[in-house]
Amino acid sequence: MDGTLIELHGGRLYDPTHGINGEVRTLYLSADGIVPPPPDAGAIAQSYDVSGCVLMAGGIDIHTHIGGGKVNLARMLLPEDHDRHPVARGVHPRMGSGHAAPSTLTVGYRYAEMGYTACFEPAMLLANARQAHLELGDTPIVDKGAYVLLGNDDLFLRLLAAKQDPAVIGDYLAWTLDAAQAMAIKVVNPGGINAFKFNQRKLDIDEENTAYGLTPRQILLALAQGIHTLGLPHPLHIHGSNLGVPGNVETTLATIAALEGLPAHITHIQFHAYGNEGDRKFSSGAARLAEAINRQPNISMDVGQVMFGQTVTESGDSMRQYAGSAYASPKKTVLMDIECDAGCGIVPFRYRDQSFVNALQWAIGLELFLLAEDPWRVFLTTDHPNGAPFTSYPHLIRLLMDRSFRNEKLASINPAAAAASILGTLTREYTLYDIAILTRAAPAKSLGLSSLGHLGVGARGDVVVYTDQPNREAMFQRPRYVFKAGELIVRDGRVIGTPTGATHVVKPDYERSIERTVNDYFARFMTVRPQNLRVSAAEIEGEGRGRLVVYSPRRSA
Amino acid sequence: MLKKLAPVPSPPLTHAAVTCPFCGLLCDDLTITARGTQLTVMANGCPKASAAFKAADLPGPPLVNGQPASLEAALDAAARILQRSQQPLFAGLGTDVAGLRALLALAEPCHAIVDHLHGAAMARQVRVLQSRGLIQTTLAEVRNRADLVVLLGVDINTDFQRFAEICLTPAESLVPARLAARRVFQVGPAASKPRHAGVRVERVPCAAVDLRQTLSALRAELRGRPHRVGGRTRTGVTQLAHAIRAAQYTVIVWAPGQLAALDGDLIIASAGELIADINRERRAAGLVLGGNDGGQTALAVCTWITGYPLRLSFAGDTLDFDPLRYQTARLLGQGAVDALLWLSTFSAQPAPATPIPRIVIGNAASTLMAPNSVFLPAGTPGLDHPGQLLRTDAVVALPLRELRPTATPSAAALLLQLAQRLR
Ligand code: SF4
Ligand SMILES: [Zn+2]
Repeated sequence: MDGTLIELHGGRLYDPTHGINGEVRTLYLSADGIVPPPPDAGAIAQSYDVSGCVLMAGGIDIHTHIGGGKVNLARMLLPEDHDRHPVARGVHPRMGSGHAAPSTLTVGYRYAEMGYTACFEPAMLLANARQAHLELGDTPIVDKGAYVLLGNDDLFLRLLAAKQDPAVIGDYLAWTLDAAQAMAIKVVNPGGINAFKFNQRKLDIDEENTAYGLTPRQILLALAQGIHTLGLPHPLHIHGSNLGVPGNVETTLATIAALEGLPAHITHIQFHAYGNEGDRKFSSGAARLAEAINRQPNISMDVGQVMFGQTVTESGDSMRQYAGSAYASPKKTVLMDIECDAGCGIVPFRYRDQSFVNALQWAIGLELFLLAEDPWRVFLTTDHPNGAPFTSYPHLIRLLMDRSFRNEKLASINPAAAAASILGTLTREYTLYDIAILTRAAPAKSLGLSSLGHLGVGARGDVVVYTDQPNREAMFQRPRYVFKAGELIVRDGRVIGTPTGATHVVKPDYERSIERTVNDYFARFMTVRPQNLRVSAAEIEGEGRGRLVVYSPRRSA
Repeated sequence: MLKKLAPVPSPPLTHAAVTCPFCGLLCDDLTITARGTQLTVMANGCPKASAAFKAADLPGPPLVNGQPASLEAALDAAARILQRSQQPLFAGLGTDVAGLRALLALAEPCHAIVDHLHGAAMARQVRVLQSRGLIQTTLAEVRNRADLVVLLGVDINTDFQRFAEICLTPAESLVPARLAARRVFQVGPAASKPRHAGVRVERVPCAAVDLRQTLSALRAELRGRPHRVGGRTRTGVTQLAHAIRAAQYTVIVWAPGQLAALDGDLIIASAGELIADINRERRAAGLVLGGNDGGQTALAVCTWITGYPLRLSFAGDTLDFDPLRYQTARLLGQGAVDALLWLSTFSAQPAPATPIPRIVIGNAASTLMAPNSVFLPAGTPGLDHPGQLLRTDAVVALPLRELRPTATPSAAALLLQLAQRLR
């Protein structure tokens, strides 16, 4: 046996995948991951007494904007964010900067410091896939993956408008996943980004994109069906229509109905949970939405919690970001129409606790968390950095776990917003087991990551040791130890190892004949060859820079 | 008489769908043949590309103070220069993604300042972006969606030579009506009128120094106010305003590197305002042409790795972004740096003349034979080794291939070896 066998004994384990809820157990780690107890105790190279500590698998962020063109534009746009938040020489293995739009190196170190060991970039474009993977390749320590955007690209819309056989559309989805080296498919404002290029300024769920005569409802259904048929582990990842618009809870309910029972994930649902009641025509739709989702086991959600302070919103939703640019702070916005593929908008924003709207957004997010009955269908996100930077997760965890702390905060926000929310009446407190579901077990299950998010034998060996403290924010901010693939990488909140994480991709089978359709389209209309757009495995894995983990789903029908 | 036997020629190799690294457009459809190390563009190259591939000789041996040396000895000499330096400058930066990654990893322990060959053009564009933002678009959108393209002081005859072919005059478009209706205006001096066959260009003649005034006049005209350029109304401006009012998707194109140093950023800012104005009722966007010599790559990689675009200093305990202060020419002129590492693998960009010690990592055209210098021969990305570059529109990145056999190392490999010596 090699000399790296590590024993962690005396700690309480929270491993919801195996139903383990705070039992004291000993864990054995090696470079192979979590291993069974060795027959010979002499094989143990290092033994850690972690009595009084809480052990969980490494955290998984299922939706965080950390790499790709729009993230980099946000970095470029905001030198003030970087000047105010330098990462000085010696703090991390390498220098960096930023709070809302941190540099790639800083992102990897900071996630690791918090005990997160896998991050998924939710908005990669095929046109920008190479850059996204290059940036993820410069994000140390964490495993990563990316969701490719579809549903606003002119090729998909042409196929759908031409009433192509669903099998052909499925092949196109699979081809795109393959070419972009993606882990899942996301749709942003279905058809709306494309419509904005044709100067439509809003698109309701049954309103037609005038250029193609297609509605968001049709686009959602075609994508969800295609994904279901391909057998992808993660269902359609939906950033719905009408983001941020008062009254959009109706749109979100209609979106859920449009799926006709097919599995789907609704992302940053807080931004889609607004009513238009009250004096200010802005109210919480959380209760209605939570009730609907509680009844629909095909739907999962992540919250996209808002936290107060300066951030930047980065989104593929150019239509809604253009509308939001009026509220930019500081006053500047980058907007892009992208390569007949998608778009993006970058709007710096400051959430203020004394603003009625911002304060209510904060409360709506928490209401959603607390009203959702099934923790396996809720994931903890701030939609980094759109609701807040990911470094606010420990604070968010405390808000969920500590009712008196939550009520203290509630008392400090805009009073009208506090009065308009039912948050004060919600007594639920998340347990450590619940948190382990939200931040580990559930995202792993949703993405089909068999070796992450749990502590069973065969797991990759991403293990976090937290010192149990009543102040859950302090506890989750600075774990005592973090192990990545069996290697100690963080000790007492300090990064001491910088291994390279894997890149997770899904590769469904498809008919190669789709390449004729794609090649023809690219030759006639695009500016590059599809074979050059395709990101090769060697580009991700070359020179020991990374490793691909490939999932091959089976078609369901 | 004895006939001298010619060496047996190896059969030429033909490569299709090759990415051209010689300007920011990164055309990826070239056909290139390699006869030994001689490269020839067979299809789809512009004159600039044809000349650049043809002239791309392999560099000679490493040099120390102008004398041939082994690679080991040259790397040792380069490492000594960096070790002795209190404040080195890493400049030129004509390399690919891997080269930039390696360079930035070395900049931190060396406390270096970094700047690109086209740092001035980048600074112009970045400054406008950082002060007010911009509504932008990309090549395929222009090709398919635009019904009005305004070339603002940009000369596509000397650079970006295939822009007209790719974006202005495609055979078909996803939106045929837009292509049928497409009008192209050129605002600027007559000399820069596009010479590409098949492009009908409407001109708004104006001297380079009047570009900003012309833009102000155009904005006034669009707001229904009478305009004045040089004391009079210009018909061209009025016509362009009419065209903008009639268009569904206007694209304004500029090249920061071709604008005047004096007011280039103000022209870009003004174009940005015009685009914002138009978007209140219809769609418009800007397209930035630039990124030559790996410029877009350097800008993007530096931004993602450090959080800051160029120009940047690693001298202190925190990163210091200051595009005014960290200009190559200024730093050299003021004697603010005491060693120069010059990276140039795409074009003929000799290292600036300076009495301080110089290290050049470069192609044949950048060979430096001088006292107090080290020359480390490097391959050209996309000719001699694989790699990646980013296109001018800040979205598309393309793969580069190895087209000919060579033992010349990449800049990245040389920089890694240098870093090992400095450990
Ligand atoms: S336009 Fe630029 S990229 Fe295209 S062939 Fe010419 S030099 Fe190369
Ligand atoms: Zn998001």
